[in-house]
Amino acid sequence: MTNRISLATLLLCAGLFSTSLGAQDLAVHLDGDYLRVSLPRIDFLQGRPLDRLKDGGSVAFLGQLTITLTPTSLNPIARSVGRFALSYDIWEERFSVTKIGQTPDSRRSASHLSAQATENWCLDNLGIDRSQLPTDKQFYVNLDLRVEDPRDQPGIIGDPGINLTRLIEIFGRPSRSAQPRWLKSSGPFRLDDLRKTEIRGTRG
Amino acid sequence: MTPTSQAALLFPFKINNFHSGNQRATGFPMPVFLLGLLLSTAASLAAGQGLMRQVAETNVNQRYMVESVSLGGIELDHVETSTLPGTLRDRLKALIGQKCDTTALENLSSEIRRELHFRTVTQHLLKGSTPDRVKVDFDLVRGDASFEVSVPRLLYTSQEKVTGEVDANIGFRQNHLTLGAISNGDDLIDRFTGMTARFDSAALSAGKLHASLTFEDYHEQWNAATRDADDGTLDLYRSRWNVAPQLTFAVGSPVTIAVGASFEQMESQSAAVGSQSANAATLDVHYGRKIGEGTVQQRIEGKYSLRVATRALGSTYAYARHMISLKYEAKSGRSTASDEFIAGAIAGQAPFFDRFVLGNSSTLRGWDRFEIDPLGGSRVVHNELTYGYRVGEGTVEAFYDVGALWQSDRQALLRHSFGFGYRQGIFVLATGFPIREGRMEPVFMAGMNY
Repeated sequence: MTNRISLATLLLCAGLFSTSLGAQDLAVHLDGDYLRVSLPRIDFLQGRPLDRLKDGGSVAFLGQLTITLTPTSLNPIARSVGRFALSYDIWEERFSVTKIGQTPDSRRSASHLSAQATENWCLDNLGIDRSQLPTDKQFYVNLDLRVEDPRDQPGIIGDPGINLTRLIEIFGRPSRSAQPRWLKSSGPFRLDDLRKTEIRGTRG
Repeated sequence: MTPTSQAALLFPFKINNFHSGNQRATGFPMPVFLLGLLLSTAASLAAGQGLMRQVAETNVNQRYMVESVSLGGIELDHVETSTLPGTLRDRLKALIGQKCDTTALENLSSEIRRELHFRTVTQHLLKGSTPDRVKVDFDLVRGDASFEVSVPRLLYTSQEKVTGEVDANIGFRQNHLTLGAISNGDDLIDRFTGMTARFDSAALSAGKLHASLTFEDYHEQWNAATRDADDGTLDLYRSRWNVAPQLTFAVGSPVTIAVGASFEQMESQSAAVGSQSANAATLDVHYGRKIGEGTVQQRIEGKYSLRVATRALGSTYAYARHMISLKYEAKSGRSTASDEFIAGAIAGQAPFFDRFVLGNSSTLRGWDRFEIDPLGGSRVVHNELTYGYRVGEGTVEAFYDVGALWQSDRQALLRHSFGFGYRQGIFVLATGFPIREGRMEPVFMAGMNY
């Protein structure tokens, strides 16, 4: 019985945490040839990732914007994925963010940002080309943001070889599923009805 | 017992021809499959580490200079010398005055945790005395003891199949006890399989001295070529064990000297011969240092080892084995070039485990060692020239090996080989070709820490 209560509490907490953006509307608009999203208050820079940044470390976020034809579909018809490397300037007390691309040339960066501006920059850099959007059907827009913990991997592979203990620790770690994650869906939308904003110049 | 083989479509290897589960589990395809699985998992993790390196490289604090380094809030200079190994202290000290490399800090955190047996180690950056400087503090959370299992080396070659080692390391108060299981068909003329145990003491005498005790117990497997070449005068022992105490002195920053003894006992296959011993005094001298800090990073390394087995120590064998190796490495931009020379000589009659071998994963790659000399040699010279070019996360390498292995009463024959490979971190894939007349059969190698 106690176990059930604990499990229910855990699920409730996880549900509250993962849908912490639920009370807000995911605003969807067209920025030139790209569909982009924005939120009035994202606030994903909090908790352990924020502590780590303020200690001078780096934190990676994986962001994904998908388009589906139904709110519960698992098969997106369009997708934009971005990996963001964040750090916090110890002296200036401002954030810096880089979108990591396939090649060093395709990287984009911004610095001297507030927490809010950093969060908005990440969302602005998750755009979907409008040519990938259905013109004759309604669609849903889904945002998924999660932290990639850089402390997961160092120590597994190094000069002493493969550390099996660390490997087992990481694959068997239950807290992996409890890593910060933000999910938000919105819709249905039609392409013709989307609000158009002035072109801000970034791609994808 | 399985009466019939599984469907060939499901099991395309010859493994389905084995009738008993034991053969299926230990036959050739299974170790190769497991090795492949481990290497692919490890390669995927290595790629993940590569990503994390990329993330760390974008850290905005990299522009600041490191003003000081502290452990648990204690400045490095005030940390007791006996609690911090000299090499680790040197590496931490080397951070001061340099730009703040957050990747290096992550790696050092892992190293401090492993070496000093802390449960967790995390690095923090703090404001320095001026706006262009930061202080680094490693936050330490103590664990009473540590236990880690690792695979320090792994190798597959198309010639000698799998060589590998699994270690369990128990750490307590900076002492280490390592228990290992090993099967090695690469280093010597025979394949030796067995157990090892090694105790390494915490640093003594202000970090300048370390004591260790090694115990090894191996069973030997001899190649048919070695058996055929044996004229009955040599002892192809079936097992051997060794006890080796050693003291290591850090003479100066680039030089360490290790003196010790090795009491090796061999059990002959012949009851008439019984057990024989090779009890020796040992000496190892190591020199290594970096040259220059400019655009070309250079490193020079030298090693000399001496084993003197003498009847004064109750040894059946009496011989002296000298070996020297010199390595020079230069890195500039994406390019790396290195040259490694080894030479060795044995005076007297040495047992097989102390004879020299060429034609393995690090010397005359591509050659079959049993074709060079199925009994090993008492004289050796070898040079390895390698050029590497970094591509993405890895390095594409080309190598050229030249060497000779001979007995003191015979003439040396110089052999050559070349090859290419790809290295990513500790993982390497390579193919070696022997330069010879007639058919040139390459040797494929895949491994880790080789």
